[in-house]
Amino acid sequence: MGRITVTKFLASLLATSAALAVMTASAIAAETPKKIGYVTNYATHEWYQNVIKGMQDRAGQLGIEFEVRDANLDVARMVSAAEDFMAQGVDVLIITPVNEEGAVPLVRRAKEDGVPLVLEGNPVSGMTTMVAICDYDTGYHAGVAAGEYARDKLGGVAKVMNVGLPLLSATVLRSNGFMDGLKTILPDATMVHDLDGGGNPDRSLEVSAAALAQNGDINIIYGINDSSSQGGLQAWKAAGKSQDGLLVVGTGGEGLGFINMMATEPSYQIEAAMFPEKVGFTSIDAAVKLFNNEAVPAHIVSPTTPMVGTDSWKQYYSVEGTTRTINWDTVNAVVPADKCMKTAADL
Amino acid sequence: MSETTQAAKPAPVLGRLAENSQIVLLGLLVLLCIGISLGSPQFYSVENIIAILRQCSLVLIVAAGMTMLLIAAEVDLSVGASLAFSGVVAMDVTNKTGSVALGVLAGILFGGAVGLFNGLVVTRLRVNSLIATIATMMILQGSVFLYSREAVQNKHQQVAFTEISTGYVGPVPIPVIIAAVVFVAAFIVLRYTTIGRYIYAVGANQKAARLSGIRPERLKLLVFVVTGLLTGLAGLILTSLMNAGQPTAGRGFELTVIAAVILGGTSLLGGRGTLIGTLLGVLVLKVIDNGIIILRWDQNLQMVVPGVVIIVATYLDLIRSRANAR
Repeated sequence: MGRITVTKFLASLLATSAALAVMTASAIAAETPKKIGYVTNYATHEWYQNVIKGMQDRAGQLGIEFEVRDANLDVARMVSAAEDFMAQGVDVLIITPVNEEGAVPLVRRAKEDGVPLVLEGNPVSGMTTMVAICDYDTGYHAGVAAGEYARDKLGGVAKVMNVGLPLLSATVLRSNGFMDGLKTILPDATMVHDLDGGGNPDRSLEVSAAALAQNGDINIIYGINDSSSQGGLQAWKAAGKSQDGLLVVGTGGEGLGFINMMATEPSYQIEAAMFPEKVGFTSIDAAVKLFNNEAVPAHIVSPTTPMVGTDSWKQYYSVEGTTRTINWDTVNAVVPADKCMKTAADL
Repeated sequence: MSETTQAAKPAPVLGRLAENSQIVLLGLLVLLCIGISLGSPQFYSVENIIAILRQCSLVLIVAAGMTMLLIAAEVDLSVGASLAFSGVVAMDVTNKTGSVALGVLAGILFGGAVGLFNGLVVTRLRVNSLIATIATMMILQGSVFLYSREAVQNKHQQVAFTEISTGYVGPVPIPVIIAAVVFVAAFIVLRYTTIGRYIYAVGANQKAARLSGIRPERLKLLVFVVTGLLTGLAGLILTSLMNAGQPTAGRGFELTVIAAVILGGTSLLGGRGTLIGTLLGVLVLKVIDNGIIILRWDQNLQMVVPGVVIIVATYLDLIRSRANAR
């Protein structure tokens, strides 16, 4: 009897273990969505290419099927792509809104259909969560780094030409943050030129050339993205000015452009890196959390940091030919802020 | 009758103004220069004059071709997209071959190929040039990203490449010299050669030109190719200036070029226009652009002013046409 009991006990133990194993396996499977759909607003832009790259990397690591559709800056296309994804039954949807108002019905529809939705980049009324960098903080920390550089190498003088983009709150925050950060080190820092370079290189070059002709007494060029800083620097060079005593600060770290500039232009010493791949990586993690009904903050901050010095980018990226590869270990080690110092609401 | 009389009333004054558009433009240019320099004496600094001339040179090179096209009653809206793509090709070929000469050639020829494509679509497929070149613009804006996902940098830091835009011959920047050569050549062709006269004839009355033995399609194809080649040349200079082939460059460039040409008195309907007018149009637009920054005015005006200029210039063109018809 005792034997039978032991045998029965062992059999039930085995059966229980098997059942537990099956339950655990299904529980693990339930923790990871099968498919995530991403509607990007402009896939041809370097920034979004790298956001997508980061999403693909992370989805690949987690064994999630991942599909991208491009709205190509068209609200109607954004809506139809998102609706297609929801009709297909994706487990989580990620959207970079073309514009905030246009995405409001999508947020409502996703809630009604029970589809978890992560927004990337821009907030939308009624959203659950958004993954984005802090623009003000990005500029602020680059400003602090620029202040330290100017204090040590430019005789403590900071006269700035801001090649900005006043139409967008994000880029205004970067410029404001840069000046505020700079003034923490050099309180007498001044903005000599506040320009609208349109965010593109040729326009930046043109307006910078005119501004430098009006008053060339500057020693720091700040660009709200890499194209703007490049345009500003090329205008400086085209005017026949020496780069001695000049500091150029770019923002974004979007592709190979800033790496080339840091490697070849002696004045290009600081890049406010925004790690688009990391934004993508974090968006997938946020999608998984939402899928599992975990609590998430309204704004999940993706980290940024200033890279200071010619070779500083090598800590975060490696380049082979025309391909750059992110070093996930060092980028994941950059600690994001809990919340942004300032947002568009503060403007 | 009374309506006609009322409508025609302001025409003689405006018509006279329109007929003397180059004098009006020259006067406007002088007034602008005086006004801006009163507000900011740096306007006349050597650095600023060089900056203005360098910017003018890019627009003028393409505007020379566009003037011929508009006179021939055609238009090319793909020049901005072609400008960017040509620059990307020029930089890429320079990087791959290590030869600046080959890069220069590739960029210019690419522009020419775009012009040839536009010309063939317009003259062989009989697609309206406005539609055809908008389509080409879309094709180029999309395909440049298929060609290169990002800006093509001057990988080998070829100094000769950057010298194309930043170099000087004596005190004169190289792009200004290139623009001057293009301008003079185009001026001679339009004014003193048979081809120039044919271009005017085709634009004024294509049927009559054909009856006179001119082959309008072949002539228009030639002008499209010339405009394309000049766009490639301008793209090369812009790329040299930025030290990188930028796929996002040139957005809105076509509007600046067309605004300058129309402002210079070239008719949208074809058959009328001069390169001197175009030169003045380019100078006026770029001086306004520069003045807004020099005077530290709101830069949004840089978008507003060309828009207003296009409307005013087109209206003056209509007035002039009515005056001529009378």
